[in-house]
Amino acid sequence: MAAWDLTVTVEDLGPDAPPLQISVTSDLHIGGVILKLVEQTKLKKDWSDHALWWEQKQQWLLRTGWTLDKCGVHADARLIFTPQHKPLRLCLPNGATLKMRACFSSSVFRTVMGICRVLNIRHPEELSLLRPVEEKKKKKDKDSSEELYDLTDVPLTAGSVQALYNGMPAHFADSPKTEAVYKMLSVSLPSPAPEAIAKLYRPASVVDKTHIHTRWLDSSRSLMQQGIQENDRIWLRFKYYTFHDMDPKYDAVRLTQLYEQARWAILLEDIDCTEEEMMLFGALQYHIGKLSLSQDVVSTCQGMDDLESALKSLEVKMVGDGNSTDILDNMTAPVLNDYLKIFRPKRLTLKGYKQYWCNFQDTSISYYKSSEDRFGEPIQQLNLKGCEVAPDVNVAGQKFCIKLLIPAPEGMNEIYLRCENEKQYSQWMAACKLASKGLTLLDSSYQSEVKNIQTFLSMQRSNSAAPTAQTDDSINTHSLVSPRYHKKYKPKQLTPRILEAFQNVAQLSLTSAILKFLQIWQALPDFGISYFMVRFKGSRKDEVLGIANNRLIRIDLGVGDVVKTWRYNNMRQWNVNWDIKQVAIEFDGNINIAFGCVNADCKVVHEYIGGYIFLSTRSRQQSDTLNEELFHKLTGGHEAL
Amino acid sequence: MEDIDAMFSDMLQEMDLLTQSLGEEAESAPLPKPSSIPEPQQMNFSVGFTDFNASLHDLEDNDLDALMADLVADISATEEKFATERDTSKDSAPIAPKPLQPQSNFGLPASTDTSKPATSSNSIAAPPPPPATKLSKEEQEEQLKADKIKLALEKLKEAKVKKLVVKVVITDGSSKTLMVDERQTVRDVMDNLFEKTHCDCNVDWCVCETNPDLQTERGFEDHENLVDPLSTWTRDSENKVIFQEKKDKYEVFRNPQIFYMWKKDKKSLMDMKEKDKEQLLEENFCGASVIVPDLEGVLYLKEDGKKSWKQRYFLLRASGLYYSPKGKTKASRDLVCLVQFDNVNVYYCKEYRNKYKAPTDHCFILKHPQIQKESQYIKYLCCDDELSMTLWVTGIRIAKYGKQLYENYKTAVRKASGSATWANRTIQASSSASTPSPKPKVKAANGHAPQPTKDTMGPANQTSFPPPPPSLDILPPPPPDPMLPPPPPAPPAPPASATKVNKFPPPPKFPQSSFPPPPMDDLPPPPPPPEDAELPPDFLPPPPPSFGSYGADMLPPPPPDPTASFPPPPPGPQNFASAGGAPPPPPPPPPPPAPAPAANPSAGYVRKVAPPPPKRTTPQLTAPSGGDLMSELMTAMQKKRGQ
Repeated sequence: MAAWDLTVTVEDLGPDAPPLQISVTSDLHIGGVILKLVEQTKLKKDWSDHALWWEQKQQWLLRTGWTLDKCGVHADARLIFTPQHKPLRLCLPNGATLKMRACFSSSVFRTVMGICRVLNIRHPEELSLLRPVEEKKKKKDKDSSEELYDLTDVPLTAGSVQALYNGMPAHFADSPKTEAVYKMLSVSLPSPAPEAIAKLYRPASVVDKTHIHTRWLDSSRSLMQQGIQENDRIWLRFKYYTFHDMDPKYDAVRLTQLYEQARWAILLEDIDCTEEEMMLFGALQYHIGKLSLSQDVVSTCQGMDDLESALKSLEVKMVGDGNSTDILDNMTAPVLNDYLKIFRPKRLTLKGYKQYWCNFQDTSISYYKSSEDRFGEPIQQLNLKGCEVAPDVNVAGQKFCIKLLIPAPEGMNEIYLRCENEKQYSQWMAACKLASKGLTLLDSSYQSEVKNIQTFLSMQRSNSAAPTAQTDDSINTHSLVSPRYHKKYKPKQLTPRILEAFQNVAQLSLTSAILKFLQIWQALPDFGISYFMVRFKGSRKDEVLGIANNRLIRIDLGVGDVVKTWRYNNMRQWNVNWDIKQVAIEFDGNINIAFGCVNADCKVVHEYIGGYIFLSTRSRQQSDTLNEELFHKLTGGHEAL
Repeated sequence: MEDIDAMFSDMLQEMDLLTQSLGEEAESAPLPKPSSIPEPQQMNFSVGFTDFNASLHDLEDNDLDALMADLVADISATEEKFATERDTSKDSAPIAPKPLQPQSNFGLPASTDTSKPATSSNSIAAPPPPPATKLSKEEQEEQLKADKIKLALEKLKEAKVKKLVVKVVITDGSSKTLMVDERQTVRDVMDNLFEKTHCDCNVDWCVCETNPDLQTERGFEDHENLVDPLSTWTRDSENKVIFQEKKDKYEVFRNPQIFYMWKKDKKSLMDMKEKDKEQLLEENFCGASVIVPDLEGVLYLKEDGKKSWKQRYFLLRASGLYYSPKGKTKASRDLVCLVQFDNVNVYYCKEYRNKYKAPTDHCFILKHPQIQKESQYIKYLCCDDELSMTLWVTGIRIAKYGKQLYENYKTAVRKASGSATWANRTIQASSSASTPSPKPKVKAANGHAPQPTKDTMGPANQTSFPPPPPSLDILPPPPPDPMLPPPPPAPPAPPASATKVNKFPPPPKFPQSSFPPPPMDDLPPPPPPPEDAELPPDFLPPPPPSFGSYGADMLPPPPPDPTASFPPPPPGPQNFASAGGAPPPPPPPPPPPAPAPAANPSAGYVRKVAPPPPKRTTPQLTAPSGGDLMSELMTAMQKKRGQ
């Protein structure tokens, strides 16, 4: 058989080196080509990761047993001999950029599995890669200053079970540098500066929201095939909004990144929420941020210890001496006693705050004319159980009021308590808060509640302080809410509102706070809907198709409202006509719909629907191994089958 | 007065003993002399009940009987619970044979042997058992001490439990009176009612609260506590508790499509496949967060303080009820929050067209449970038709209670399907959790003399001790117990003397022996099971020596054993009469019966009040007016017997 020259560029020889010419015959298999090539380079290195990339055809020649003839390679082919794993700048859900090696030759589905294995994220099928939003030119130079986490030295392990070392997967425990990466991955990042949020792209309409989904990569083709180059920026995101088997014990990174993605979705108004919800999200972010900064693993089984110590102390007291008053003193619940100003707004009164001697005991406040009268009958006793407690605070104005709405058969009694200073306020506020839940000062959470309030108050105080890095104390409340509220409220107006919401979540542990955030996020009406611009068959105007985990939604752009909903469990079958790029779906009861995609590849839509159906099969088959074949069957295009 | 005195003295005695014995131990006295310690009288810390209701006299006789049975059951249940816990510690104890002394009341509190005959009811107390394992003296002392403390705590906790006597109106017009303690959920109360009424136990049964002032009705959710909401009724409240079937209680779980696909054609919804319904439930209730039905539409809102009703476009979200202001879009950011659900409940309203000139009679309100009268803090809403009202009210309940609602439903279904066997099952489950108690023979061999019965001691005490209200101060408040939040303190105002709900103090505890064993079938599993589960493990197995120190009187009646000695009887009255009426021990006579109000009913109820309690520094303790109630009850019972 006639020998001919094959031109192969070997990347490792340097960018300027001329392509190598090797003499081959058509029945030489790919492995033989590689062998010849390696011999010719005279370089001694590990070539095991290298493979041939056929540039014109945009495909890898990975089957080493195939002959050149079978692959269709002729003398005009320009091949490149290049590593299959290349560094990629991965933009994580938390906004950090991580440089790491990823596989450029396998399907994106597999590549994501590999990435997630390194990052220690379970259930990689829920994530995928997408092209970043184009950056403006002038931002380019900023890239150098951008903090870059580097994991390129970490070898890709094949094993799926990760040994833990120091509470992190062993491959992160190698060096301080990689440990820092793991911390970045598993601990939520501090709140961004308000300006940073404002600068980022925010979708203004549902049409805008369709754009982001045009960027998803095709899961059944490789990165290289989709034009991704070495060191390119690419986003890693949760793509499918069904989070299977979330377990904080194993899912530190997954949970954190999901939280980050949710947080950014809220901050960038990717998902709409009400003001009340935004305040709660803000409060949770503040709480999570604070706990993340001082993250020491606190065991939550405090209750047991408390009981034990209570028993101990009771024991000691009873054994100690029989002096009854002594026992009494020691065993009595702590009380708060102080002069406070009280104001009861009533119609047609101009009376202001009046000072009383107040005594907080149990879940009640009793107030007296003065401390001398405290042994007599109180002027009034307020039982706070079940009441609403709201802060009315302005640190700058030195106003520390507690607004109480105490339920009574006739309605709610409105009462304001005015404290002198932060310390007094935080004590009384914490007591009121606990009492409203029926807890007393004796409750173990009292001290932490007091502390929580104090730290939150200091947010207001330190706003004017030097703009140092975000520490525990100083945080701009604007960085907790979306830019819409930057315009609507000043930070000091925002603080009390967030503080109000914060009261209800201050007791949560870090994990429960994150879970709570995700829970509220998932309860939003628009949660988990991915939008695509489509044109339905027979319709003349563009409409929006929303794809969720259980249904398809047709949204009329004119009205901006849901017109129709189809559920997957009524779905008989769906087909894609790749020639005219049309997706056709048949539902029970002879309902047929067909649409073409306006701005996205219809493969993306097809993959989204198939992906959700694939994910819904997971709960049934409990095995850990991912049924990759089924995924491709459900999501692949015609070439995959 | 005397009975109060007796109670006080008992209490005093008890506390003295407790401190005393502990003191002794601390001074490295040898073994405490449990046998010499007069049996701690069952204390009545009538904590948390400032008041007692006069309306006992209004109760019909059979009510009284039933009530009595409840009370007794309650006492023994506590005892038993504690004993069970105690027994669990005796892991090393051999499996107990059947009790050999029939006269022993000592029962094997928690043996798994369900066929064991219940012990006879009229005798007291076998001697306490020796520790099953040999421990060093120090250890024994330690354990003894710890055990006593635990017992004291347990009693304190028990004593603080608030109880109400509730008259429940049943749809057929009859009513049942039962005692509800604050740890009981509505589910427990319903189970109790099922037993008493013999109705089918389908899931639609519901305990409702009506308020004639506001013309509202609300079905309590199964997981709610009944005592809490009832405690907020006003003194002169006309409110009622009704036991009835409510179709819409769990309709959302039978036909979720009506709520979750309300926009679709109604006809097509009715014939939805079961499989699809299940899937809907799974999607909406089994995920990380419950999905609230996406209700939206025009409702009428009664304007604050005005008579007019204004149309607004409302949307339901998990975070609250919103409306979109005029001229704005339905976009989330523009919505105005009318109310969030943390502090309010949703109530159906009746005939608001008349009362408030509502556009239709399909109204519901949202209000804080404590609000009992018309108020500006109530949100009044009106729907076009009944279906829409059901959708909104159910939707709000889903938003408020979330997964809990689904859990309630699943429990209800489970119970409805196995209602017949249920009572047995739970009781067995609880008893099988503990290990068998030691052999009674060994106990006897230990040589502790049986304690004198209280029947004789009670009256004696009452003369020898002055009424010692200050002694209350000796009682330490219960230590913080994070697992079981302390029950709410007594409301500041003396609670209602209304007819339907009577605040009840815990019964003064009588010597075990003098009571017939409670009719077991009436026994609601007193502490709700989940609470049990939450008890820290170290609480469960108190060390063995406790038996020694706490003599026989403290020992509980046999494990609830419905199959054994009490043939499933007609609950309540008859059972009580047969078990308790004939044999000697009626409840200890409320000693000098003369001036009791019962004797002089026409004069109205003269309240026996304990001497005004001194200002207390211990928060939980309130005036022990509780003895009152018990004697009242006794008198009433005696009177009835005498007739």
